[in-house]
Amino acid sequence: MGGYTILRYFVLGFLPFIAIFLESTFFRTYSLFGNVPDLVLIFVVFYAFLNGDNKGAVYGFLCGLLEDLYMGRFIGVNALSKGITGFIIGRLQVRYFNENLLVGLLVVLIGTVLNSLFMLALGLSTFKIFNLDTSIISASIFQSLYNLLLAVPIYILYYNSFQQGLLNSTGER
Amino acid sequence: MRNFIKNKYFWLVLIVFIGTFWLINNTSSERHNISVLEKMIRDAYTPLQSGVVEFKENLGQVNAFFASKQEMHQEIGRLQEENQRLIMENQVLREDKMELRRLRSLLGFRDISLDKYQMVGARVIARSPNNWYRNIVIDKGTDSGIRKGMAVISPHGLVGRVASVSRESAHVDLIIHREIAVGAIVQENRETQGIVEGLGISQNLRMVNIPYYSTIKEGYHIITSGLSESYPKGINIGRVKEVELQPDGILLSALVEPSVDFDKLEEVLVIVNYKLSNDEPIPE
Repeated sequence: MGGYTILRYFVLGFLPFIAIFLESTFFRTYSLFGNVPDLVLIFVVFYAFLNGDNKGAVYGFLCGLLEDLYMGRFIGVNALSKGITGFIIGRLQVRYFNENLLVGLLVVLIGTVLNSLFMLALGLSTFKIFNLDTSIISASIFQSLYNLLLAVPIYILYYNSFQQGLLNSTGER
Repeated sequence: MRNFIKNKYFWLVLIVFIGTFWLINNTSSERHNISVLEKMIRDAYTPLQSGVVEFKENLGQVNAFFASKQEMHQEIGRLQEENQRLIMENQVLREDKMELRRLRSLLGFRDISLDKYQMVGARVIARSPNNWYRNIVIDKGTDSGIRKGMAVISPHGLVGRVASVSRESAHVDLIIHREIAVGAIVQENRETQGIVEGLGISQNLRMVNIPYYSTIKEGYHIITSGLSESYPKGINIGRVKEVELQPDGILLSALVEPSVDFDKLEEVLVIVNYKLSNDEPIPE
């Protein structure tokens, strides 16, 4: 494993770490009607979309697990929902149009809806996590909007880095 | 199908699924302690989150430096006026307090005032990173004597309960968290008892199990009853917004607006020497 690969893994690990930090501080101050974006999910979706289903599932699972370990309750809920979301988004991987920003936004929207559904399903299966009222739907809608807004600059940076920067798995620049 | 079962990835995924469900189930109820890995992750975040709070405070000082002189004078004037009023109020209350103590000792009543409790001040350094949970992170942990289950208050009222602790930080479940239930009474009539529960995502609370003959009405204040194991008596919880009959027809429930604005919470106090719900020793 070369120095370049180690650096790439470091960046991939650093992104969800810093995302949780920003979600718990900065985005709580600038929330959208009390709702924060899911930055970790945005990174999972982009990684899965550009690297495929298997890698997407593993990355989603590990990022979700980090979030769960930080929260300390229901450890595995985020890991499973983000892992499955990463897998499905990875299946949508397209070879020719992934440089298109609109395609990037569409996968974030699909990813946010899927993740919310999986969280809800897991919540229902444990009967403990959430109150099933309409506020969950409004929270998911506001989160989708916030995610879309953030996805614009992040996708441009992420895609460029994937093509010729630190996130390029071949090391070619 | 046979190929599917022979595939080694199928078994790997199945094991991961079963393992994760086992983990979710094992961490779904309240845990006595969090794992070393969780403590390490939280302690890695604490200095970063504290840094953000300090940065905000410094920014506030810089803003104050550049604020206009006229505005500052107005603010000082307003604060001086408020200070005078509070000094007067304090004087009256101090007299009342001394009288209350004398009467209590004469009647052999137990002192239930909050000032007998030892409290540790802490700053709110972070909030829940997602929309599914309602909690805050404070910058004091086991090093400062904080333990799981301790009540957390602010000058405005009850904030919540310490859910888990690492060395330098603690996660506090807010009373709007749906797993929190607090024994409560109505301050005005003293006779109405009930349980105040969080509603999850909503910012409001619901007081349930109120007898139908209760005289509770809109605008009344709800305080802790002291019957819960974690919360001392007399802490402000909120104000009644709406009273309705429960579906069973024999009990009432009330929508309660918390007295604490959880989104603006910056500092809190942790009561460290009240009896704890778990068996951990009470710190000296």
